[in-house]
Order: sequence, then C-alpha cells, then structure tokens
Amino acid sequence: MKKVFILLVLVAGLWSCEDSVNISLNDAPPVLVVDAWINNKPEVQVIRLSQSQPFFESELPPPVSGAEITVSSSEGNTFTFSEEGVPGEYRWNPITNGNSIGAIGTTYQLSIRVDDESYTAVSQINRVPAIDSITFTFEEERNPFQPEGYYGEFVSTDPVGVGDTYWIRTFKNGIYQNRPFDLTIAFDAGFSQGGVIDGVVFIQPIQDAVNPLNEDLDEIVPYEIGDSLYVEIHSITNEAFFFLQEVQIQTQRDGGFDEIFAEPLENVPTNIINVNENSTRRAIGYFCVSAVESRGRRLTE
Amino acid sequence: MACVISLRRTWLVLFFFVSSWAGVAQEKFTLNGYVKDGGNGEALIGATVLIKEISGGGATNVYGFYSVTLAPGTYTVEYSYIGYASQSQTISIDSNQRLDIELAASGTQLEEVVIKGEAEDENVSSVEMSTNKLDVKTIQKIPAFLGEVDVLRSIQLLPGVSSVGEGSSGFNVRGGNVGQNLVLLDDAPVYNSSHLFGFFSVFNPDAVKDIKLIKGGVPANYGGRLASILDVRMKEGNSKEMEVSGGVGTVFSRLAVQGPIKKDKASFLVAGRRSYVDIFARPFTGDATLFFYDLTTKVNYDINKKNRLFLSGYFGRDVFRFDEQQGFDWGSITGTLRWNHLFNDRLFSNFAFFVSTYDYGFSFGENDLDRFDWESRILTYTFKPSFNYFLNTNNELLIGGETTLYDFKPADAQGVSDGVVTDISLDEKFSLESAVYVDNTQKVNDRLTLKYGLRFSTFQYLGVNTVYDYEIVEPGRRQQLVSEEEVDPSDIIESFSNWEPRFSFRYQIGKGSIKGSYMRTAQYIHLISNTAASTPIDLWTPSTNNIDPQIGEQVAFGYFRNFGSGNTYEASIETYYRDNQNQLEFVKGADLFLNEFIEGDLISGEGRAYGVEFSLKKNKGKLNGWISYTLGRSELRVDGINRNEWYPTRFDQTHNLKIFGSYILSARTSFSGNFTFISGAPVTAPTSRFTQQGLVIPFDYFDSRNGLRVPSTHRLDLSLTIQMRTEKKGRVRKNSDELVISLYNAYGRRNPFSIFFAQEDGQVLPGDPVNTLAYRFSIVGAPVPSISYNFKF
Repeated sequence: MKKVFILLVLVAGLWSCEDSVNISLNDAPPVLVVDAWINNKPEVQVIRLSQSQPFFESELPPPVSGAEITVSSSEGNTFTFSEEGVPGEYRWNPITNGNSIGAIGTTYQLSIRVDDESYTAVSQINRVPAIDSITFTFEEERNPFQPEGYYGEFVSTDPVGVGDTYWIRTFKNGIYQNRPFDLTIAFDAGFSQGGVIDGVVFIQPIQDAVNPLNEDLDEIVPYEIGDSLYVEIHSITNEAFFFLQEVQIQTQRDGGFDEIFAEPLENVPTNIINVNENSTRRAIGYFCVSAVESRGRRLTE
Repeated sequence: MACVISLRRTWLVLFFFVSSWAGVAQEKFTLNGYVKDGGNGEALIGATVLIKEISGGGATNVYGFYSVTLAPGTYTVEYSYIGYASQSQTISIDSNQRLDIELAASGTQLEEVVIKGEAEDENVSSVEMSTNKLDVKTIQKIPAFLGEVDVLRSIQLLPGVSSVGEGSSGFNVRGGNVGQNLVLLDDAPVYNSSHLFGFFSVFNPDAVKDIKLIKGGVPANYGGRLASILDVRMKEGNSKEMEVSGGVGTVFSRLAVQGPIKKDKASFLVAGRRSYVDIFARPFTGDATLFFYDLTTKVNYDINKKNRLFLSGYFGRDVFRFDEQQGFDWGSITGTLRWNHLFNDRLFSNFAFFVSTYDYGFSFGENDLDRFDWESRILTYTFKPSFNYFLNTNNELLIGGETTLYDFKPADAQGVSDGVVTDISLDEKFSLESAVYVDNTQKVNDRLTLKYGLRFSTFQYLGVNTVYDYEIVEPGRRQQLVSEEEVDPSDIIESFSNWEPRFSFRYQIGKGSIKGSYMRTAQYIHLISNTAASTPIDLWTPSTNNIDPQIGEQVAFGYFRNFGSGNTYEASIETYYRDNQNQLEFVKGADLFLNEFIEGDLISGEGRAYGVEFSLKKNKGKLNGWISYTLGRSELRVDGINRNEWYPTRFDQTHNLKIFGSYILSARTSFSGNFTFISGAPVTAPTSRFTQQGLVIPFDYFDSRNGLRVPSTHRLDLSLTIQMRTEKKGRVRKNSDELVISLYNAYGRRNPFSIFFAQEDGQVLPGDPVNTLAYRFSIVGAPVPSISYNFKF
C-alpha cells in the first residue's frame, strides 16, 4: 500500500505539507505497563514493568520497582523473575537456574504482585519453522522506492495447519530494527487471518520485510558488501498476533497521503488481568512466550 | 412467503390509490408534449407550463415531458424555463392535443434575461424542499481546483453538504456518510464517483445537463440510501447541428462531440477526458505513471411521437503504476438503456435497464514467481419501470418498481511465492433488492400542496456460499464465529422488507411558504470504510444474517421566501433531524480486506444528525451567487466504542459556511470567488503512551473516540474568465472560446486534513527515549494557480 503513495506524493506533493504542531491533550493518571515477551533462547529473559506516561513526554518510561514476578508452567516449573540492578527490569537466567522454557504446547502463567494488587496473564509456546536460508540478490533499480542494490530475503516454510502466528525480527549489522514500520508479523505464510495462506513459503512481501527503509521511510536501503543480516522468527499466540496487528495500525503512521487511509486511533488490547475484578487499578501490555528459530549471513563478494 | 403476501398487499394499495382518482377526471382533454431547447434540441427538465386562466399547470419531468388536463375552452399557455425566453400560446382545447415546444436560450447577455413572474418562483411555490439543483452554467463559474470544473466539488458549496477534505472520495449530506448517498448517472447507480482520490469526480461537465441533490423529503420513486440522492442527467446530444467543445487544462484535456444522427430525430454525444500529468512527469518517474481517463456517451432516438429510446454509458479508469509490474487501478462502468413510451396522453412511462460496476485491483511483485494480485468488484443489474400519470392539473402520480441483482466479489486474489500459487479469493455474494412505490403530488388549493407516497422494499441475501454466524463476546472487539454452514444456491439465507412512507407539504403564507417533510428509508447495501476519508478501496457489502439493513427517518421543516422584484433573492431556512438505526461501525483493529470473516469485524449502533441550514441566493444582476450556512451535528452510539456514549462522526462539522459570488466585469470578462469556513473536524487523540519491546504505543486513558477537534478550515478561491473575441474582421465568429485563470487556496492556508500522532522518524538506539509528536497534514497547503482554455465550435 505504502508504495502507491510515493508516486502520488511526486505529483500532488507539490502543494501538500506536513508539520509538527502543538496540541494540548487531556491529563490522565498513569497505569501499570507490563512488557513480558519471553522466549526459549538460552539467555537471560527480561520482564519490564513501567508506567504509562503523558503522550508528549519524551523520556524513558518511569520504572515500577518492588514487584514480585513469577512465571509458572503447565509442566510444573516456576521461574522467579527478580529485579537486579536496573529498576523495573525483572530477570531470570535459564542457564544459572538449570531449567528452561519448555516444550511446544506448554502453557505459562504470569503472576505479578505489585502495590497490593495482583495481576495475571496466560500464554502458550507454539511451534516455529526453521529458517532454511538467507539470500542476497542484486537488483537493478525498479522504481524510486526500490533502488539498485542487494536485497536480502529469508526462506522458511510455514508448517501445514491453519493458525500459526509469528513475529519476524530483523537485525542489520547486529542492530535490531525496531521502528514502527519494521514490525513484521505473519499469520501462517501470509499477512492476516482472513486470507488463508497455509503450509507454504512465507509470501514475498514477508520475505522482503528484512530490507529496512531509510530514515524518511520512502526508500529501501539495500545491503552493501560487508553488511550482515540476522533474522529471528518468534512463534506467538494468535491473541498476541492480533495485539501486534493493532500495534501496527496505531504506530505505523507515516503521515502524508497515508493519512487518507489511516484508521482511527484506538487502544490496543491487553491480556494482563487484575485478579481482583472489583479493583479500579488496571494494567496494560502483553505477556507472550515464544519459541525462536534464527539464521544469519554476511553479504560477501 | 410473508414477503409474497406483503407484495400483493402493496399492489392492492397501489390499485386503490389509482382507482380512487380515476373517477375524478372526465369530460376533459389533455394537452401534452415535450419542452426542448431550441438551440440544440435538449429536453428541458422542470420547465414550467402555466395555464393563465386557471393559474395552474404543470412542469416537465426529467425527460422534458408535460401533460395538463383541461376542460374544453381557450387557454393562454405560457412555457418558461430559467435562462430561456418564455413563450405564450393561445390554444383552444376541444380534443387531446400534442404540442412540442422549443424555447430559445436568452443568451449570455444579462439584459436579455426575461424577468418572469411565477415561473421563477419555484423556491416558494414548489412542494420540494431540501432539494438543490445546479445547472452546468453555474458550475462552470465556480472557481475550481486546478481550473477543472467539477460537479461533486460544486455541490459541496450547497447547504448541508460537506466532505472531510481534499483527497476524500465522495461527499457527506446532513451528517450522513459517503455510502449513504445514492449517486445516479442517467438512472444507473455509480458506486464510486471519484477520480484521483476525490480531487475530481467521474462526471464530465461537458456531458452533464442537470444535477439535482435531494437531502430530505425524498419522493417514493427513490430509495436504497439514507442520506441523499444525487441525480445526474446527461445531455442527449445536440439534435440540430454538430457541436464540438473541449478544453485544455492543467490536469486533463477534454473533448466532446455531439450532433444529430438524423435532424430532430436522433442525436449522439461522446465526451472524453484524459489527465496528462504522467506524460510530463515521465522523464522523472520512469515507468511509474499516474493517470485517469473517462468516456461518457449517449445516443437517443425519437422513434415516433409515442416512443423514444436512449442509450447511455460511462467508462472510466484511474491507473497508478510504479513500474511495469506493480500498481493500483480502479474504475466504473455504467450502461443505461431507456425506453420512454406514451401509453396515452396522460400516462408517460419509462422502462430502464441498467448495469453498473465498480472494481479495483492491486498488483505487487517483481516477477511471475513472486507476485501478489488482488481484485475486488461490485456488479449490479437493474430493471426499473416507472409510470408518470398526469391525473389532472392538481394531481400527478408516480408509480413504479425497481429490482436489482447484486454480485459482490470482495476479493479475487492470488499470491505467488517462489512459484507456488496460493489462491486467497473470497466467495462471491449475491443478493436481490426490489421495491414498488406510488407517489402523488396533489395541489389541494393555491396555498396548499401535498406530496405523499409509499415505497415497499425487500432484500434477499442469496445462498451461494458459506453462511457464518457470529456472536459478540466483548463489545467493540472482534466477534466470535459460532457456526459455519454450506448452503444451497437456491436458499435465501436472509430476507428483509420495509415499508417506507414519504410525505411533504407546502403551505403558502403571504410571499413565503412553509414546507415540511417526513421520510423513512431503508438501505440494504453498506459501504465499508473505517479510514479517515472515504477511499477508492472501500468495499460494498450486502445485508446478511449478521448485518441488518440501515433504517433512517428524517423530519424537516423550512420557511422559503423570495425578495426583490422578479424574485431577485431566494432565501430559505430549513431544520432537520435524522434518526438512523443499524449504522455500521468496526471493531477495534478491524481487518476489512481479504478477510473471510469480515462480518465478525462489523458491528452496528445508532446514529443521529440534526441541524439548521440557511441559504440566500441572488440569481440576477451583475453580481450573483449565494451564501449557505449549516449548523449541524452528526453522532453515533455503538456498544463498546467511546465508553458506550454518543460520539461525533468524522464528518461532524458544527459550522459550515460557504459563500460564492460571481461578478460580471464586462461583456467578456467575469470574476468569481468562493469562500469556505468549516469548523474543525473531530479526531481521536491519546492521553498517554506506553512501551512494549521498544515500541511506543499511544494510549487513551479515557477510551474515547473523536474527542479532539482539529483547527478549523477556511479557504478562498478566485477565478477570472475571459471570453475571447467574439468577432473576427467585423464578423461574428461562429466559434467561441474562453480563458479561465484561477487561484485555489488564495491565501495559502494550511488546512489540516488530519492531525495524527506518531513516533519521530529514525532509528532509536536501545536505552534512548523515543520522541512522539502530533503532526498536521495538509493536502493543499499552498496557493495553487492554474490556467485553462475552453472552446466550442
């Protein structure tokens, strides 16, 4: 969709303009934010607790300290996440603790006790396909959006069976590509639940999503000799997929003629529940447990 | 079965309607015929036929036909039409008579305009309210964006009409959404009326004769949409002589050819346009291209005095390609075949058959092994017989019916990935919409006129696919699929029917009149759009077992008054209230495209809109134009949205002021301008933000919708029209041509199309805070000058 507008901007962009403006927004009290995306990689797992902040406050989110956090599995394991050093960051090390996030299909329950309130959330670890290869192909300039250069893609096949959902994360030269437009998710081998594309290689736009855009988001930056590309596929629950789909809608605001197609601002869902149904305190954010497959490659001559 | 019974009942009602009047007319004779433009043979719509002796008469219908029934005697009959010299004839009526009249245009010279008394009193004397007419001559005077005259942009200067801004397809009437307008081109519905994302419309001004916008008190012969009817009638083509007209503008060029096939018997019209920005831009854009074109054509044939045939069509397309393989295109096709038949002197009939389709498609991918192609389409076939029965000078009856077969193809899509083809097409949906109606305009006395009618409509969602059933789990969130069932093609999955009463009156008080109307309408097909503006990719979808038809009711009252000698000023004030049921909304995070389970993402609520419209028009003199002002509100209430409270729609505009003026500087030059002021549109704003995995997400603590207003919009547009020399070497030129210089957004105001909230561009390093800002996007943020040249010979 985005590409369509580049051309439109070329023509109509003569008179259109965009600028940042000062708007006064309503004041609102902060709410607890749970950022709990953990996986089966053999490395330290982190859950972050923070507070929501005023929209225009360009600071790191205020941490929430002093919470007790555990994750318990249907296999009977309990992992205690403890706050060490950095306020608001709760860590658990699978190596030093001698156990790990377990087999596909296991369910996990997150329990948080903070400020005399208890919150809980549930997730499940789902299957993830291996990445068979990463390739680079030299392409001539195709249009102003796709200049000449090396384009990366990853090859992986969604397993047969409808309902696998993934988060695909790209690292270019070791840096996690984490701008709103870098957020890539897949429902089976396609973009969404509605059009079922199951049990095949991820569709082309998803394979191509490992080519990040430039700062102005109007052109792909091809890979150069010596660059590296590392791709991770995280299996996520269907609910987490729908959560991220809404995150895409809410954060991928490029402005310009995209605004014609923009959907209204909405609150994204959460799976964090206050155990006390009568409490007025609520939490937002998400808990998801993933299985991860990865592969990397450096572009050489 | 229930449906069959009620249909039969409807015919019974119709029968009584007709038979109760049949006894009234006896021992009288009928005078009828067509009123046409003497210059080119075009039928004149709404020309007045005044019988002086009885101070009554009639008006021509949309085909230019009139019929008045009189007792034997000698009468003075005056035929008149705005902008034409009226004609009086003394006629002795002793048998039924046919009298076709040709009126001569009064020319462009101001002083030639014949000041007529009652003929131009329509504002006050007609029972019609909430109705606006614009002729092409007026539209051409309005300063246009890039100098390109446009029908849809012109109607936005009328009271009660608005749009969410440049770049939005369609228009909003009295707080209704774009999909609640029925747009007709020679009877055929147009499912998307925009070119270039709404900068221009599909109606070629060279081919348009007359447009009529009905915002309330919609007569029973129209139905199927809640907010308005925009009835666009095409020219028939000059039946006297060949005529070529056209223009060269900044964006596109136009050419229209019309003329007789057989003088006064048959004529044709072919009008085409094409934009050419792409041709100039090619050196810079390579294979990338952007253009649109359209072709409007019509042929008509007077078989004999009782039969007339029309065939008209529209074909247009917008194409955006960013290279040879990838792009986006959309377009409409409509075709109408009409047969006018006079059963007798007083019974005029029209049988129309029309086809209309709208489709769009996307293509992405580098080569045949890695591609993604997607097409979507709506296709409809309609048969519409209608009868116009001129009972007597005091009653004019409309009876008819309409039946439409809909074929919706939401997606025909294929993904090809490393050579593996996956078909992700969605099932087609079929449905049938039918209606019968009767409508009578009754002149009770000189002061009181009534118009009353009844429409009975039915809709069947036909079974040719899988039927899904959904259930709401959490209001405002995606509904859960409860069951899925394959059905037989012969099954009717769901059936709806509605009685739609319509009523209006007009009562004369002194020099003004009071008018009132009530209408109930049902809308069975819905335009799905949850974007800020309506776009070319909006989908039409039928009412189903999960989606109920929209039902709307509207009451309106108004006072109409003319001032000055010869009705120089026309003024009106109208107030309306609309109550709408089953208004479509979308769940949070709705997935509207390529979604088999789309009905699970559609929810509904109630809507209301109310307001006051004020209009003052000056029709004569060196300076003419109008002021229109609307104070209005348009709101929705849907479970699960905005804490279940009422919220304003995206097109809720508190104040909407439009001023248009045209001043004749000299015989050959005229200057015109229009000014627009619109209150800020509502937008949803966050209060807070939160972070997930490094992504900063906006959050509204209060969970509200459309709670913030963007700054107001105002704009001034100017244009200067210079008629080229009308004489050459002392002789009058046969050709005429003009130069139009225009300046859009004269003082370069940056009117916001939207205010949006986003993260600042650029990569954020881990550990660094993220900046989030509010941005204003203006589609036209600078003055836009243009020049165009029009000719006719």
